[in-house]
Amino acid sequence: MEFLSDSVVLSRMQFALTAIFHMLWPVLTTGMGIYLVIVEGIWLKTKNPDYYLHARFWAKFYVLNFGIGVATGIPMEFQFGTNWAPFSEAVGNFFGSVIGFEASWAFMLEAAFLGIMLFGWERVNPAIHYLSTILVAIGANLSTLWILTANSWMQTPAGGELVNGKFIVHDYFQAVLNPFMVNSVLHMFFATLETSLFVIGGISAWYILQKRHEAFFAKSLKIALAAAIAVAPLQIYIGHLSGEQVYHYQPTKLAAMEAQWESSPAGKPADWSLVAIPNEKAEKNDWEITIPNALGYILEFKQNLSQPLRGLKEWKPSDRPHMVGLIYYAFRVMIAIGFFFAGLMLLSTLQWLRGKLSSANISQQRWLMRAWVLAAPLGYIAVESGWIVRCVGRQPWTLYGQIRTVDAASQLPASNVVVSLSSFAIVYTVLFVAAMYFGSRIIRTGPNLELPIPGVEITKPAVDTTPGEFVPDERPVEAQQ
Amino acid sequence: METLQYFLPQVWFVILALFLFLYVMLDGFDLGVGILSLTSSDDERRGILMTSLSNIWDANETWLVLMGGGLFGAFPLAYATILNALYIPIWVMIFGFIFRGVAFEFRELSRRKLFWNFAFGAGSFTAALGQGFALGAVLKGIKVDETGHFIGSTWDWFSLPSVLVALTLIQGYVLIGSTYLVWKTTGELQETHYKTAKLAAWTTLIGAVLITITTPIIYESARTKLFQQPLVYIFAVIPILGVLLIWQLLQSLNRKEERAPFVWTILLFVVSFFGLGLIVFPYIIPPQITIYEAAADPSSLVIMIIFIGFLIPVMLFYNLYQYIVFRGKVTGGSYGE
Repeated sequence: MEFLSDSVVLSRMQFALTAIFHMLWPVLTTGMGIYLVIVEGIWLKTKNPDYYLHARFWAKFYVLNFGIGVATGIPMEFQFGTNWAPFSEAVGNFFGSVIGFEASWAFMLEAAFLGIMLFGWERVNPAIHYLSTILVAIGANLSTLWILTANSWMQTPAGGELVNGKFIVHDYFQAVLNPFMVNSVLHMFFATLETSLFVIGGISAWYILQKRHEAFFAKSLKIALAAAIAVAPLQIYIGHLSGEQVYHYQPTKLAAMEAQWESSPAGKPADWSLVAIPNEKAEKNDWEITIPNALGYILEFKQNLSQPLRGLKEWKPSDRPHMVGLIYYAFRVMIAIGFFFAGLMLLSTLQWLRGKLSSANISQQRWLMRAWVLAAPLGYIAVESGWIVRCVGRQPWTLYGQIRTVDAASQLPASNVVVSLSSFAIVYTVLFVAAMYFGSRIIRTGPNLELPIPGVEITKPAVDTTPGEFVPDERPVEAQQ
Repeated sequence: METLQYFLPQVWFVILALFLFLYVMLDGFDLGVGILSLTSSDDERRGILMTSLSNIWDANETWLVLMGGGLFGAFPLAYATILNALYIPIWVMIFGFIFRGVAFEFRELSRRKLFWNFAFGAGSFTAALGQGFALGAVLKGIKVDETGHFIGSTWDWFSLPSVLVALTLIQGYVLIGSTYLVWKTTGELQETHYKTAKLAAWTTLIGAVLITITTPIIYESARTKLFQQPLVYIFAVIPILGVLLIWQLLQSLNRKEERAPFVWTILLFVVSFFGLGLIVFPYIIPPQITIYEAAADPSSLVIMIIFIGFLIPVMLFYNLYQYIVFRGKVTGGSYGE
C-alpha cells in the first residue's frame, strides 16, 4: 500500500475517480437536451399530445441526471486548485479563463432555463417554453465545447509558450483552435448524442418487449433511430480523424493504443495488432494476433505509412505512458461499441424500411428489441473507454510534452487526500446506486399519460401566480392542501 | 501599459466581488432555508421549503462556479494558493453541496424521505460551515512565501476567530433564509419564520459586533488598515449603518411586513460585504500578495472581459426573468410533475 503515502498518485486517483463518475451524468443530459428539443418541436408542429408526454417523460431522466451531474461536476472545477495548484498557476492564463467561459456561457444558461423547462409549462407561453428547452440544450452543448477545448489544449498546447514555468498566451484564438479542438468537440458531441439515443431507444425497446405502451414507445424508438442513422456513421468517421490526429501529434499515445513496441519506418506497410497481451517489463507483447499490413489502411486509407510510426521503445520508460494494456483495450472496446451501434442502426433501418417497426409489428421484433436494450449502457462504456485512452494515454504529461504530472500536483499531506478520496469513493458509490434505483423506478412507473396537455384543457396551476391578489390562508398550514 | 496593469486587475477584483456577492446573497438564502429545514416540524413543511428553492438553487450555486472559474482565469496564483491552503474547508463545502444538490432529486422520487430530508439540511449546514471557515481563514491571512506559494500547515484555517466567523456566517444565512421564507410563504409557516428571522437577526448582530471588535485587536494588518486616514471614516460608518439596518429589519419584522425584511437583510449583506472587501483590498491572498502580483497576463484579462464581461448583464437579465416567472407564494409541497 505504498501509494497511500504518495499524494501525487492519490490526487491522480481522485481526479480519475471523480471524472469517471461525473462523466456518466452529463453524457446523458447533453445528448438528451437535443432529443427534448426534437420532441417538443414535433409536438408544437403536429399538436399530437403523445410528443408532449414524451417531452415530460424523458425530462424526468434529464432532471435526475442533471442534479447528479451538477453535484459531481463542481468537485472537478475545485480540484484544479486544491490538488493541482502548480498546474493551475502555470496555465491559469489560458486554461483558467476557458473554465470561466464554461461557467458563464454554458452552465449558467443551462441552470437558469432548466427551471422554466421543468416547472414552467403552465407559467410561460409555449414559444417561451420551447425557447427555454432550446437554451438548456445549447447550454449543455456549450459546456462540451469549452471543456473539450480546455482538454484538447492539454493534449496539443498551442498559442503560446512556457516562460519561467508559466504559460504565456501569444495568440488566444490559436490556443482555442488548437490542433485537437475541432475534432475532439465533434467526437464528444456525437458521443453524448449517440449515448443518449441508444439509452432512449433501449428504454423504449424495453417497454415494447414488456408490451407496455408499445405504440407510444415505438415513436421514441423511431426518433432515436432516425437520428442514429446520421450520428452512428459520422461518429466512426470523426473517430477515425481523431485517431489520425493522435498519430501526428501524440506518438507516445498512439504507440500505447496499438501496443507497438518497435518502430515502423515511413514508406513501408505495418501490421495491425487485433488482440494482444502487452508486457511492459519485457517491452513486448507476450501474445498477439495481428492483421498484416492493416495499420496503414487504418490510419491513412493506404498501404504504406507516410510518416514513421514510432514504437514505445524509442522513449525512456519515464517518458511514455504506463498501463499500456489498459489503453490498448480501452481503445478497442470503444471502437467495437462504435461499430456495434452502426450495425444495430443499419439492421433496424432495414427492418423499418420493410415495415416491421410499425406499432402493430414492432413487438414481434423481439431480438432486435433485445439488442436495443443491450445497447443502452454501451454508450457509457465507450465514452469512459475513450476518456481513458485520451487521458491515461497522455501520461506522463499533464500538458503534453510540457508539464509533467508529478510537477503539476500540489504538495499535500497524503492523509488529506486519502480522506477526500475515500469520501468520494463512498459518496459516489451511494449516488450511483441511488441513481440506478430511482432511474429504474422511473422506468417501472412508466409515463404519466394522464397529464393535462397545455392549451388543450384548462389546468389548475400548482402554484399561485398572482402575488398582488393573494389572500393569506388563515388555516394552519397542514389544512391548506 | 502601466495604467493597464493597475486598471485590469482592479476591474477583475470588482467583477469577482460582484459574482461572490451575488452568490452569497442568492445561495445564502438557499443554504439558510436548508439549515432551517432541519427544524421543520413535519414533512409537508419541508416539502414547501424545498419547493421554494427547487427551480433556482442550481442557478444560484452557479455564481460560485462562475466566481471560481473567473478567479482561476484572472488570478491563477490566488486560485491555486487559496484552494491549496483551504483543502479541508473546501472539500467540506463541496460534500455539503453534493448532498444538498442530490437531495432535491432523490427526495422527490423516494418514498421514505427521511434520509434525503436530512441530507438536504445537513448538506446545507456543512456547505455553509466550510464557507465560513474559508472566509475566516482568508481574513486571518494565508501563510505564503515571497512567490505566493502556500507554506502554512493543513489546519491553519482552524482558529477561534474563524469559528466565530463561521458561526456568524451561518447565522447570516439563517437570517436571509428566514426573511426569504417570510416573503414566499403564508400562514403558520410564515409565522414561524418571523420568529426565526428575529432570532437570527439578534445572533447575527452579536456575531458581527464580536468580529468588528476582535478583528483590529487580533490582526495587526487589519488594524493598520482600519485606522488609516481617510479609510477610518468609512470603516466607522459601516458598523453604524449595519446597526441601523438591523434596527429597521427588526421593526419591519414586528410590523409583519412581507417583503421589506428580505430587502433590509440584503442591504445588510451589501454593507458587510463592502466592509470585508475594503479590509481585503488590494490583497487577494491576504496579507501578502496583492491583486497586481497574482493577476494573469493583461492580454488574458482583456480577453476575459470581452468573453465574460458582456455576458454579465445578460446573465443578470435571465436570472431575474426566472424569478419573475416563478413569482408569488409557494403553497404546494411537491415540485415534481
